[in-house]
Amino acid sequence: MTAVARGNLSDMSELYQRRHKSLFRFFFRLTGKQTASEDLTHDVFVRMIRYRHTYTAGDSFDAWMYRIARNALSDQVKKHRWELPTESSEMEKVESSRPDPFETYAKQQDLALLHRAMRELPEDKRELIVLSRFQGLSYEQIGQIVGAETGTVKVRVFRAMKEMSSIYADLQREKAS
Amino acid sequence: MCGWAKERIAASWTGELEPGDQAKLRQHLSECAECAHEMTQLTAMWDRLTDMPAPEPSRALQVRWEATLESLGGVVAEKPGLRWTWAALWPQQPVWQFAVAVACLVVGLVVGAQWQRGAKNEVAALREEVASTKEMVALALLREQSASERLRGVDYSTRMPRVEPEVIAALIQAVNSDTSVNVRLAAIDALSRAAGQPQVRQSMEQSLARQESPTVQAALIGYLVDARDRQALGALQQFAKRPNLDDTVRERAGRAAQQLIEFR
Repeated sequence: MTAVARGNLSDMSELYQRRHKSLFRFFFRLTGKQTASEDLTHDVFVRMIRYRHTYTAGDSFDAWMYRIARNALSDQVKKHRWELPTESSEMEKVESSRPDPFETYAKQQDLALLHRAMRELPEDKRELIVLSRFQGLSYEQIGQIVGAETGTVKVRVFRAMKEMSSIYADLQREKAS
Repeated sequence: MCGWAKERIAASWTGELEPGDQAKLRQHLSECAECAHEMTQLTAMWDRLTDMPAPEPSRALQVRWEATLESLGGVVAEKPGLRWTWAALWPQQPVWQFAVAVACLVVGLVVGAQWQRGAKNEVAALREEVASTKEMVALALLREQSASERLRGVDYSTRMPRVEPEVIAALIQAVNSDTSVNVRLAAIDALSRAAGQPQVRQSMEQSLARQESPTVQAALIGYLVDARDRQALGALQQFAKRPNLDDTVRERAGRAAQQLIEFR
């Protein structure tokens, strides 16, 4: 990124190859929208070029990139008045379009419940789970992204998991009845 | 639930638990049933999240990025870093220090104004280049092997502020010769934005004679009526006489011809 900050765009290309899928998944897990997630991913890379001078060498690149990503998402939510999560999420299509003869019906049902539980989580909690569980960021990096102390992030992630677990249990009961 | 344990349990999920805390947490869990229960339940949920598959971006994203990067090549020029060692230049005499400070202020104001203007131009150019990439993406996708990607290309074309001639040509080609009926229908729909252009209406009129699918034929008839293309009257009347035509389409063509006469 330091090279990109100096204007070397060929390094930006490499950066894109390394990070775009992960960034796309971040947006997809938060929005459940394929096209919107692609638009946002593209937007983040364009913003990274535009605001490259705001990156300080030696700082966590991930923290910088996800701060830009959060701003891009927030702008889009305001612009399009999105409600996160979406009711008719494309997330479940990812499941149904995956032909796997070994996947049991019960497992598919379980995944659908997990998706619903994720969708029903408040936005800030879902974001914390996505950043820590799926994006593989450390609590320190998440703290830099959301502007909180590392210890606070750990407690918030714990609470988010507890709420998700509770929603999941409710959904299971609802399904059983 | 003990506050102390919350942080440690969360840290254990990501492998960030300090070695010293590991033993303490184990000890605590053996003494506190509530925390032990939470640990088991939430760790199971944390592990289960691994099962949620990771979605993949479509090829459109890559195409769009490559187009953006290519277009930005000339826009983002390398900015040389300013690596002055001011201390070496700093005069010892207060009078000269004051003079240098004033000079720096003046130079700073002038340079700052110039730099700001340059940055504004760069951002404007960047925006313009990004806007034009949608056109490139639409064109690239319309050439893809997969029908779903071509449909995405048609979709991209509808998101452009105006339909460029190259995109119009690609959409007309799709209406005429795409192997997928869905892509043809989507292209007809996308071309409704360009219905004001006589050459587009003419192409749609000519395309009607080539189509074999009743659905596409019906969509084209609808297009010509919506465009109120009086020039198409002859073509529609001719088309209605075509042998082996679907009865519904024939009836629709006849009705469309009548509507065009009424528009006159």
